[in-house]
Amino acid sequence: MERYRAMGSTLSGDETTSQAIRVNPLRTKDEKLVETLTEQGVELEKIPCLDHGFKVIDSPFSLGASIEYLLGYYSLQETASQYPVQALQPRQEDRLLDMASAPGGKTTQAAAYMQDKGIIVAVDINRDRLFATENNVERCGVTNTSIHHVDSLELPDKEGFTKVLLDAPCSGNYVTDNQWFKRRTREDIERNAELQKRLITKALNLLESGGVLLYSTCSLEPEENEQNIQWLLENHDVELVELDGPGDPALTNINGISLDQKISYCRRFWPDKTGTQGFFVAKVVKQ
Amino acid sequence: MRLLKRFLRDLGSKYKPSDVVNINNKRFASTLAPPVEIPELVYTGTYLGQNRQRFEPSSILLQILAEEPSTHKVYVDRDTAWLFVVGKDVFDENIIDRTAGVRLGGYCLVRFGEDCFGYGRYGTRRDLKVVKNLFDIGDFLRRE
Repeated sequence: MERYRAMGSTLSGDETTSQAIRVNPLRTKDEKLVETLTEQGVELEKIPCLDHGFKVIDSPFSLGASIEYLLGYYSLQETASQYPVQALQPRQEDRLLDMASAPGGKTTQAAAYMQDKGIIVAVDINRDRLFATENNVERCGVTNTSIHHVDSLELPDKEGFTKVLLDAPCSGNYVTDNQWFKRRTREDIERNAELQKRLITKALNLLESGGVLLYSTCSLEPEENEQNIQWLLENHDVELVELDGPGDPALTNINGISLDQKISYCRRFWPDKTGTQGFFVAKVVKQ
Repeated sequence: MRLLKRFLRDLGSKYKPSDVVNINNKRFASTLAPPVEIPELVYTGTYLGQNRQRFEPSSILLQILAEEPSTHKVYVDRDTAWLFVVGKDVFDENIIDRTAGVRLGGYCLVRFGEDCFGYGRYGTRRDLKVVKNLFDIGDFLRRE
């Protein structure tokens, strides 16, 4: 925690995140679903910064086993993790690559923004977790997605996508893992940061000029976030896009080291301020 | 394709899926062409379902068939739909409405409102008429 406080945070270590759902506009409308669930005793609250996100205040049953869930009317998706796809704004004409797609929450969210048009290529290295992507894509009634069991790093270096979503494998954070401080080491963080750099390079190799890369992690560690974006700016021809919405501007000074001021265009989610898990989101355009 | 064709015929469907491919015993239609060649395809386009003892439809195919005028359907209320989703059969007395094609020994979709929850065989059990549950969308929970 001291590390985070040195970065200017006021975290206590006791932060939690509420259960949240995301309505699937391919299958229903927000108002209709809220009405149906409310009739069943579910208490929901609109999350102001999200297009289709609702915080679950109370529910008399498991929201992962309701009729509406099985029909694909909504997905369970933590508040912060609903933001990256919203920031990416996929459109019908896009060719979108989802580089670490499992379990498929962001894939189905992207399909909804695309109105199930265009094409999404969803890949993941983990076959077991990829079954969840398949199930979620089916459950949500998505038909514009091609799913591949492959390591993203082994994809060909060929430009073909208009957008890439890289919700990168990361160290996670203590809000969603109460053993996080016992489990994680500095070496893990550094190893993840190196993998993330390789994935970023791969993403840019697959993007067309003018294409958009959305990079996100659920880590609070600057090595996996701001410092990776600093590296990206120094090593690739990209332009950072200023993001608004939830979270704080990302850090531009970490332990006395100054970073590019434009890194403040990215968003950092401090759990005590956002009431979510830790998160980081950056958006760049390939030149 | 044989099991899929029989499944569609049994339900009174005229749906003819295009470009059907088989991936790991799963059937897909309207397959997609990624802009870059990517190996190890496991899922593409419109998932239709998979061959097991009989053809097991996807929820996507069930919804396509539910919207097709010619398919055989029974309509139930929410409570009955929920019981069906947890694997129970539908008793005749709980059927609110049915389309013309529903007959004893035949197959039908089970609908509540605009949504399809699965399908079954309309027959008799101990002298009672029931839609015997053959597949329902509660399968999503059983897979996990």
